Amino acid sequence: MYRIAKIKPPSNGSDEGEGTLITIASNVLSNHVRSSILVLSGLIALSAPAFAQSPAAPNASPTNLDILSRDPNQWVMAPHDYANTRFSSLDQINAGNAAQLHLAWTFSVGADRGQEAAPLIVNNTMYVVAPYAGPHPNQVFALDATTGDLKWSYAPKPDGAAQGVACCDVVTRGLAYDQGKIFLNTLDNYSVAIDANTGKELWHTKLGDLNEGQTITMAPLVVKGKVLIGNSGGEVGVRGWLTALDENTGHIAWRAYSAGPDSDVLIGSDFKPFYDWLKGKDLGVKSWPPGAWKTGGGTMWGWISYDPALNLIYYGSGNPGPWNSNQRPGDNLWTTTIFARDVDTGAARWALPLNPHDLFDHDEINENVLLDLEIKGQLRKVLVHPARNGYMYVIDRATGEILSADPYDHITATTGVDLKTGRPIENEEKAPVLGKNIEDVCPAAPGAKDWQPTAWSPRTKLLYVPHQHLCMNFKTAQVGYIAGTPFVGAEVDMYAGPGGNRGEFMAWDVTEHKKVWAIRENFPVWTGTLVTAGDVAFYGTLDRWFKAVDARSGALLWQFRAGSGFVGQPVTYKGADGAQYVAILSGAGGWPAAVAAAKIDPRVRNAALGFVGATQDLPQYTSGGSELLVFKLAGSGAPQGNPSHANGAQLETGNAHAQ
Amino acid sequence: MLDPSLRHATVAILALSLGTIATSRQGVAEEAASFPSPEQLLQVPVGPTFPGGVRFPPPIKDPEADDPAAIQRGMQAFVSMNCVGCHAPNGGGGMGPALSERTFIYGREPANIYLSIQQGRPNGMPAWAKMLPANVTWDLVAYIRSISSAPETQWGQTTSRSPQSPTIQQVPAELLTTTTPWAHTEPFGDGRKPSMH
Ligand code: HEC
Repeated sequence: MYRIAKIKPPSNGSDEGEGTLITIASNVLSNHVRSSILVLSGLIALSAPAFAQSPAAPNASPTNLDILSRDPNQWVMAPHDYANTRFSSLDQINAGNAAQLHLAWTFSVGADRGQEAAPLIVNNTMYVVAPYAGPHPNQVFALDATTGDLKWSYAPKPDGAAQGVACCDVVTRGLAYDQGKIFLNTLDNYSVAIDANTGKELWHTKLGDLNEGQTITMAPLVVKGKVLIGNSGGEVGVRGWLTALDENTGHIAWRAYSAGPDSDVLIGSDFKPFYDWLKGKDLGVKSWPPGAWKTGGGTMWGWISYDPALNLIYYGSGNPGPWNSNQRPGDNLWTTTIFARDVDTGAARWALPLNPHDLFDHDEINENVLLDLEIKGQLRKVLVHPARNGYMYVIDRATGEILSADPYDHITATTGVDLKTGRPIENEEKAPVLGKNIEDVCPAAPGAKDWQPTAWSPRTKLLYVPHQHLCMNFKTAQVGYIAGTPFVGAEVDMYAGPGGNRGEFMAWDVTEHKKVWAIRENFPVWTGTLVTAGDVAFYGTLDRWFKAVDARSGALLWQFRAGSGFVGQPVTYKGADGAQYVAILSGAGGWPAAVAAAKIDPRVRNAALGFVGATQDLPQYTSGGSELLVFKLAGSGAPQGNPSHANGAQLETGNAHAQ
Repeated sequence: MLDPSLRHATVAILALSLGTIATSRQGVAEEAASFPSPEQLLQVPVGPTFPGGVRFPPPIKDPEADDPAAIQRGMQAFVSMNCVGCHAPNGGGGMGPALSERTFIYGREPANIYLSIQQGRPNGMPAWAKMLPANVTWDLVAYIRSISSAPETQWGQTTSRSPQSPTIQQVPAELLTTTTPWAHTEPFGDGRKPSMH
């Protein structure tokens, strides 16, 4: 199993035996001072896979969107495909030529806060959405994906005040597309459908109330004509839900709460949880102090996957509220829970709470990557969930049985996962005691990985995981519920984990249960990632680097110094000129980096729910930004001939005098 | 009939804070006379520009400023009213802006802070007028004035990696509960674990 080891001085990449971490490529070290690349030697050259692994195979009648998502020239949903692989089969950019990447064009979204959104590319049009800031909060832009020409923009009518209840910066994680429509979630709780060609508004539906602390930050996903949307506000005592809207009318088709009576959670006769302790009536009520589920969180602000063959969607719910666990004795079902639901009715098929009676804000809204893997000689339909609690879960996605759960970062809060019950084994020493400061709780509140999504390559059979490496001091306090104000009750102070690095970009072998290589980064790696058939993986750093690395070895191939730190999601597509493009938004923000973009004091460690302790020096590297960056290989794409002025600009020569 | 959210809120206040608030004062009414009048408060400017050069009355003093216990009560209210959730322990900022620095968006004069609390502010500061009586609000003002007195070595603020600036951080709240956090500082932590005092 992976252990944290000391970084040794750069060697020449000589073999040091299995399980030893060594540094390679001393030029990489000098290029970026405090990030270093570590390789578990002996695993660099991957042997041929022993068995077949591929993204989930769709059934006989795939939806239009499912078909579109398999066109490598487009990027039609934030997670790339329903299996959430974020793998593109484009290979024009490859490990051999990535060093020749250069900027093709840029665009400002006009709002200098955390840029977490994934651009979408449909029919050579790129759609991007700004955070909830600036003169036009959550403005949507449609651009020519090849030239960067602005086609239209759409500004929703803001309700105001939303930023006061958004826990972790005013971010959005992106848009959705289906059947000629773009779907926008606004921070102030609207879902909007926009004509993808004209920018004209088709409908808008209000889904939540700021006075109850609700907001929306996640990227919607459209499945079989339903726009799936979850709410945010786990730090404000919001009752979490996932809502399905009819994509043509905006009317609510179903809403599934994460806590409360079975009728609200949509638990019925089809519900077959794998573990016995999850069987029983109204556990979403009984596992709480009386009524506490009404303000108990379980929001849904992360990712949804869909298996067309099983007709099931998968997503995880957020933390229970308040963070002070002493106030909510019980398992607090169904917070921090992975749900499998019938997409047509919302009915729950199985559920698996990963952190029953969560102690440390370990939401489990992270992505569930759907893979068909051969495990112990059997082909299993699994979902891989890199959990906030620090374990890499491999779960049978038909039944909800945990097949394995291996630590992928330093963990002190628990000592393992009991595979008989599915429950983590708590470390008594780290259990919160009211009013007592508990030190060295690892992973910290944002977990070993937060929302920032992984990518899986069917070529390397590796999962690429951007994540943080943090521990914390954690002190609970009694908190009263006042609607629309924070319901937290904890003083949190985060800091770098063992080794001193605060983040990591790593490649994980799902079937071998181990880390293959890892790039240690100075700051938490808060971007999503992308991996391509050119065997290149992309991610960005808070200190303004956008990087391309070799998907097999982790070697740095190329990097670009941008205007602001990265918290976005890289995507790739093919332009009308035949060139492969890579796009990402630059702009520091989100939970770890709001200190660099908002009025937050880096000298007060407990600021921003304690994340400032860990990133207090970030303002020394970046401020906020709002720039979309689009790259391609130098000289790639159809020849443009002599450059000509766009938009009617003309060079006047000869006697051009002022009149 | 109270709406359910308000009812919830009322319960929370009674349970957690009115105890402190009510017993610490001999009744709001008899004190009220010494508080600035609504007419006076209405004249308080938010910004520093006055058309025609017309003079404004001098700034209003915090009527609680001379009561040493006011800051302490203000700190308790800051926690029990959940100000701390949005503005962070010691006012470091988060969902709401930092209240630990000397610069304020809507003014740092006591009456500016008082009005920010009572009226709310457009980008997410709730309006507390119906929930917080004048005396509690002035206690909060006294506390916020105390935590916002960051030490100043120069007029502006330098951020730099080498030589490092800022040079200090506060002793974090999990280790020290105080109404004067700027009196307890240590070297800037650079994202490492704070020293355990
Ligand atoms: C729901 C989150 C939230 C809560 C709870 C909250 N605030 Fe605020 N507060 C904000 C936001 C956001 C702003 C900035 C508003 C703006 O810029 O328009 C703000 C602004 C302020 C300001 C003005 C700051 C300046 O720079 O001028 C003061 C003073 C203040 N709050 C004090 C308090 C006090 C005292 C409490 C508790 C009674 C409190 N706040 C509770 C979110 C909150």
